[in-house]
Amino acid sequence: MSVLKAIAKGMGTTLRKPRLVVILYVFNLVFAVAAAAPFLLLVHQELGHSLAGSNVRPADVTWLGEAALKYGNALMPLLGLVLTVGFLYLALQVFFNGGVVGRLLDREGRTTLEPFFADCGRYFWRYVRIFLISLIFLFLTFGVLLKLLSALIRPASESAVTEWLPLILSNLHFLVALLLLSIVHMIVDYARIAVVADGEAKVLRALRHALKFLGKRFFRAWAIYLLLVLLTLVGTVVFYAVLGRFAAPAVAGTVAGLVWMQIYVLFRIWMRTVFVSAQAEYYRSHPY
Amino acid sequence: MKNRALAAFLVCAALSLPPGAALLAQEQAAAPGAPGLRYEIWVELDAAGKMLLGKEEIVWTNPTRDAVPDMLLHLYWNAFKNEDSVFIRESLAETMFQGGASPDDGEWGWIDITDIRLADGSDLKPTLQFVLPDGPETAGDQTVARILFPAPVQPGESVHVRLEFRSKVPRTVARSGYYRNSFFIAQWFPKPGVYEEGQGWNCHAYHMNSEFFADFADFVVHITVPKGYVVGSSGKQTGAHVDESAGKKTLTFSQAMVHDFAWMADPRYLLIEREFIADREVTAQEYQETADLLGLPLEEVRLPNVKMTLLIAPEHKGQIDRHFKALRAALKYYGLWYGPYPYETVTMVDPPYRTGSGGMEYPTLFTAGTGVLRSRKALSPEGVIVHEFGHGYWYGLAANNEFEAAWLDEGFNTYSTGRVLARAYGAGVLSLNFKGFPVEWFLRLPMIFDFETDRAAAINTVRYDPVTAWSWKFYNRGSYGANVYMRAATLLRTLEGYLGEPAWSRIMRTYHMRYRFRHPAKADFVGVVNEIAGKDMTWFFDTLLDGTEAFDYGVAVVSSVKVPVRRRGVYDTNGTREEWTQKKIEALETSQAKAPVGGAAKTSYLTTVVLRRYGEARLGGDAKVQVLVRFKDGSSETRAWDGQARWARLEFIKSVEAESAQIDPENIWLIDANLANNSRGADGLRRNVVKLMSQLLFTVQSFLHFIGSWS
Repeated sequence: MSVLKAIAKGMGTTLRKPRLVVILYVFNLVFAVAAAAPFLLLVHQELGHSLAGSNVRPADVTWLGEAALKYGNALMPLLGLVLTVGFLYLALQVFFNGGVVGRLLDREGRTTLEPFFADCGRYFWRYVRIFLISLIFLFLTFGVLLKLLSALIRPASESAVTEWLPLILSNLHFLVALLLLSIVHMIVDYARIAVVADGEAKVLRALRHALKFLGKRFFRAWAIYLLLVLLTLVGTVVFYAVLGRFAAPAVAGTVAGLVWMQIYVLFRIWMRTVFVSAQAEYYRSHPY
Repeated sequence: MKNRALAAFLVCAALSLPPGAALLAQEQAAAPGAPGLRYEIWVELDAAGKMLLGKEEIVWTNPTRDAVPDMLLHLYWNAFKNEDSVFIRESLAETMFQGGASPDDGEWGWIDITDIRLADGSDLKPTLQFVLPDGPETAGDQTVARILFPAPVQPGESVHVRLEFRSKVPRTVARSGYYRNSFFIAQWFPKPGVYEEGQGWNCHAYHMNSEFFADFADFVVHITVPKGYVVGSSGKQTGAHVDESAGKKTLTFSQAMVHDFAWMADPRYLLIEREFIADREVTAQEYQETADLLGLPLEEVRLPNVKMTLLIAPEHKGQIDRHFKALRAALKYYGLWYGPYPYETVTMVDPPYRTGSGGMEYPTLFTAGTGVLRSRKALSPEGVIVHEFGHGYWYGLAANNEFEAAWLDEGFNTYSTGRVLARAYGAGVLSLNFKGFPVEWFLRLPMIFDFETDRAAAINTVRYDPVTAWSWKFYNRGSYGANVYMRAATLLRTLEGYLGEPAWSRIMRTYHMRYRFRHPAKADFVGVVNEIAGKDMTWFFDTLLDGTEAFDYGVAVVSSVKVPVRRRGVYDTNGTREEWTQKKIEALETSQAKAPVGGAAKTSYLTTVVLRRYGEARLGGDAKVQVLVRFKDGSSETRAWDGQARWARLEFIKSVEAESAQIDPENIWLIDANLANNSRGADGLRRNVVKLMSQLLFTVQSFLHFIGSWS
């Protein structure tokens, strides 16, 4: 299967299963409301009754300065709350991964809550183990490979005549980090897909399937991943370009902005399912 | 002494003249005389060895009535000599920005006086000793040395000191240093402190959070560098000599009436010269408006032409025009507002890479700072160019003691920078970079004015220190910066708002011109404010600069209730006692409402506004805050509150309910720590609040999505 065909088929599959995106979106929204609630209440309490609320801008320095003064001491507990919710959400996503992959690979199957959660439960412990393995990969990437790269470029950077060389080297380092990260994510994605597609009960075996599969067609698989990244970036650029047009001082603009932001969140979640679906299509079209 | 007496006489005389004439007289009073200090310095840069070899002649004339037995000299580079220096000890103990302040092995800097004697040959070296002007806790510091004269220098008498010094250029800790073949050389020569009558030498150690203080002097400096080096320096180049055989060149720079002298040398640099032609920069209308505002004759506000020199790294040459445009704006507005730039030259240096010398001011020379990738909306390097040039006025000309009253230059100049940038460029975005790229290229950042960021810092820093603390006595570097730069600037802007532009413009102009070429202190500025404003504003400085209490007034309650036609209870009317129950009152209201048009009693509302003083700081003198109450029929009423009590209740009887109440509706009291509580209106979600909340929610959603992607 070609790269583009895999992506197209992956998209088609996800579009046939819109409930999946809705489920993920609802949980994202619920968790976000829980994490943001103290901040939202704070904003309402401080600005809801004040005329300043009519002029406040995003990243308003005037108001942020006042909030820092008044709530500076509460910032760490509040951030702690956000991080706690973040970790819970991460755990939930590990749980949901089973449902997402399971439902996407079951082409004809329904995407109601029951089979979704059944898949979540079926694959949960295997996906927890894959998540733990992914942490090892991340450690090897950031803790070893990228540090080694930093050590290699540091002498050149430290003796640079102008700022160009450090700037270029630093950005190359960053680019390499992103590419390595994409590879780690891709390997983990395929391991998860192998668990479901191959009915593999052993995680390490599923990982071996994924690596063997990628070993034979790494660049094509990577191209799928990077093209999907590019598509997400294009969507992000479009999102921000359009969002800027909602700056006009009108109620309709505010509502439209709010809706547009939620559409973008839906887009990001949909793209996440496309990653899984497109890679799954590619995996299944080339038995290892 | 003679000049000061003359100045004092003219100032006193001027007080009895009309405002315009008073300013004119003050400006004349501030005209420079010959300084009591002269330097001639010969210095050679050993670029390979990173050394300076120098000879120096100092002629100091005792301007006081004291007989002066000694001289205290700054040896600033000994701050980089070892970890016993006050500078490095303070850096290592810094609680906010730790690390990096101590040089690496082999990169220390120092200065040795190898010979020092009087012009008659008397050897002063045996008397040379390091002293601790800032107390025994600074033991080990070698940044101040004392020499003893064979006989005290009598009032009006001059002493001629000749010395030789040898210095190791530090590998950049602060302001001075080298990187590869680039050098920025500042605070590099032995330099006397400032002798204060009855007080002795004011000569502090080199502290981490402090800049400098010195007397005005005439300088002649001969700088010898390898032939291929490009040199930029304070002053005007008055000579050049190339020694082909030695592969060296010597450049001579001279400048009268400055109190410091810095220079840089780099073989790669581009040197560009342009002219500030005043009549091209300032229109006749601008001159006229300025003259009218200041109450000065037109000729008094005319600006001179100035030769501008830029030394810039080749990789930044695409920004040459940006540099000059910013400098022209600074020359124009500082000149128009505070007084004409008095020197022939100004040299702007793009700081040599990794010399840590960016964003620093020296008389007639300053360092800016840019990068290879810059957003046009970020006003960087424009901000730093305007600011560092501005120090030529605040510190360079009105030369306060930066050790003891840093706010007098940093605060004044931060305030002035904000005004110039706002006038010349408008608002800008924050200069944020990611991996060297301006964030603004990827994200839409809000446009903000300097005074907004200044205020945000100002309200958060008051709890740590007073603005007027000595530089090295602040809680940490953050408190020092936020107080002396931003809080001071915010207070000046507050004062501007309170006194109004005409009075304020005259205050700033008078203060600058009166103390040009002098060393003003806080009392001098307060004196000018009181004099021009025509009222005693001392409370403002005592409360808000010397104090550490928050200033916060607000509206706590706005409520409107219908005034009943009768109140409940038992009333004696015409000898009979009648009880008015709620039911009877309602019946009366109903009957009145049914009365023919014109006969019905008007419904009245009692609006109550409760004001509160949330902060400990309070208004003083005759200052009051205004309170504006708007009503639903579009009418409004303004009242004033002296703000002395912790709260006040205002009542209004109107035919309609109140829509909102706002304290300080014109935002005069910018220093108020909470502008959000300054007003209170009808409840309900406001559009911008909804927008803010939706963006907050979106940010958290995006954050969670990002976290989830690692699953």
